[in-house]
Amino acid sequence: MAAPPNNSAASPPPGPALAGAGGPAASENGPALKKVWPANRWDPRVLILQCAVVAGLLLAWEAAVRSGFAPAYLYGQPSGIWLKAVNSIASGSLLRDSWVTFEESVAGFLIGGVLGTAAGLALWISPLAGKVARPIIVALNGVPKIALAPLIIIWFGIDIGSKIASAAILTFIVSLITAQSGTSRVDADLLTLMRSLGANRWQTFRKVVMPATVPWIMAGLRLNVGFALIGAVVGEYIAAKEGLGYLVYYAGTLYDLNSVWLGIFALMVMALVLDGAVTVLERTLRWE
Amino acid sequence: MDAMTPTAPVLEARNAGMVFNPGTPDAVEAFRDVSFTVAPRETLAIVGPSGCGKSTLFNCIAGLLRPTSGSIFVGGNRVGDTAGHVGYMLQKDLLLPWRTVLENVVLGLEVRGTPRRASEAKAKDLIRSYGLAGFEAAKPSQLSGGMRQRVAFMRTLALDPDVILLDEPFSALDFQTRLLLQIETMSIIREQNKSAILVTHDIGEAITMADRIIVMTHRPARVLAVHDVELGQEDRDPVNIRENPHYNACFKQIWSELGAKVAS
Ligand SMILES: Nc1ncnc2c1ncn2[C@@H]1O[C@H](COP(=O)(O)OP(=O)(O)O)[C@@H](O)[C@H]1O
Ligand SMILES: [Mg+2]
Repeated sequence: MAAPPNNSAASPPPGPALAGAGGPAASENGPALKKVWPANRWDPRVLILQCAVVAGLLLAWEAAVRSGFAPAYLYGQPSGIWLKAVNSIASGSLLRDSWVTFEESVAGFLIGGVLGTAAGLALWISPLAGKVARPIIVALNGVPKIALAPLIIIWFGIDIGSKIASAAILTFIVSLITAQSGTSRVDADLLTLMRSLGANRWQTFRKVVMPATVPWIMAGLRLNVGFALIGAVVGEYIAAKEGLGYLVYYAGTLYDLNSVWLGIFALMVMALVLDGAVTVLERTLRWE
Repeated sequence: MDAMTPTAPVLEARNAGMVFNPGTPDAVEAFRDVSFTVAPRETLAIVGPSGCGKSTLFNCIAGLLRPTSGSIFVGGNRVGDTAGHVGYMLQKDLLLPWRTVLENVVLGLEVRGTPRRASEAKAKDLIRSYGLAGFEAAKPSQLSGGMRQRVAFMRTLALDPDVILLDEPFSALDFQTRLLLQIETMSIIREQNKSAILVTHDIGEAITMADRIIVMTHRPARVLAVHDVELGQEDRDPVNIRENPHYNACFKQIWSELGAKVAS
């Protein structure tokens, strides 16, 4: 036995400071595991305050309209939005529009997220490809995606395909960039360690680079919730017969602001649902 | 110690030199004409000013970089483009935070393709013999700095290398933990009949742990002096060693050699 904890603590002068050394001394006084507190303990006050803030804003809005301070035809009106919501839920049209946009966003989100992440990670495996791709990524990221609209319509038509494509393009680029940045920020000493253990590039990728990049990939997916909805809604603006983007756009041309707001609120609910799904995924993959 | 008996060295550097980006305006000569040997079961310490090229020398020994002149032999074989023939421990513990202690210790065995059951049995033995039993399932974030460095050392030992390279392994630890780990690491190396090279800028650490000390010059590093540490195992208690006259003489000598070279 080479200096097991019990002997080693005996050789230097014993004292209270020794326990602070962590190491072997700490394991004598019971488990030295640090307590890790749950970061997000559920706190009912948060939910109550969130409801209060939303209710307060809606009430102020309603009051501003009723007092004549803000005309309803310019700003809409919460009570009017509520009536619209009740009607369009009853007729099924809100649910149908929401479902269409939901399908388009989720399909685009999955396609763009999977392909973008795979491409971003692949650029680590082949450093040459990474170097070749760098200016292309910058150009793709920088171009206003709306400029791609004519191509998307020509290639994917005016049905659901073009909306999925535009959501997929936006999310692809975000996932590509976040995954690639994640791989390039892996501690160089970790790569040195893996090489010193005799690991090849693929082993280093599987055991170090990929897990180390998970938080980056998740951050990209979180951003992509918004980008997938943007992609789908912009696609619906350009040409569509259904969907929340269509609802918002069409109602806007008619100055039906309550319907515009209804579409916006439905999109917000959808964003929260998708973000919740990403959080669940993040929990199952998290290691921090 | 049997450093005197004529045995083939486990490691030998022959006129090794390393220049980064040779022939360009960015050329940096890290070390030049470095020769030394390490005998079986010998621990060699290398001290030298920071930035002089010690880590670069280690990377060459580990096969991660190729020296631009001269050559390095480990176990009689010239170090080429392959790695994994020596154990290499860096200043940072470099534990993978998503792996448990046990999973970190088996990392090298996993890379080597050792069957899971065999590598876990081996890792558990190591963990048990070196006082971390009960922590197999802990995550690195739950451990103190000293325990983390111990796990990193076990990950190095798991591959059973003949030569272990230690690059300032204790410099991030507090003083007391450092002293504890010095004796602990030293006795493990001796008990397992390993050879080791320790890079440190702590002269006391070098004398406490090593059989021989090489002092390097500033960059490009060359061997400035070699000292034998004539202390028995029993003299090397980190507290009492400080009263040993040989320790003090050695310390003063190396201090002046380093001081002269750093100042110039
Ligand atoms: N890949 C590299 N390219 C160019 N110069 C390098 C590289 N790695 C290290 N160096 C330089 O070589 C010198 C020695 O570095 P290093 O071996 O880390 O020193 P030490 O470990 O002795 O502190 C330093 O001046 C450093 O800047
Ligand atoms: Mg160094």
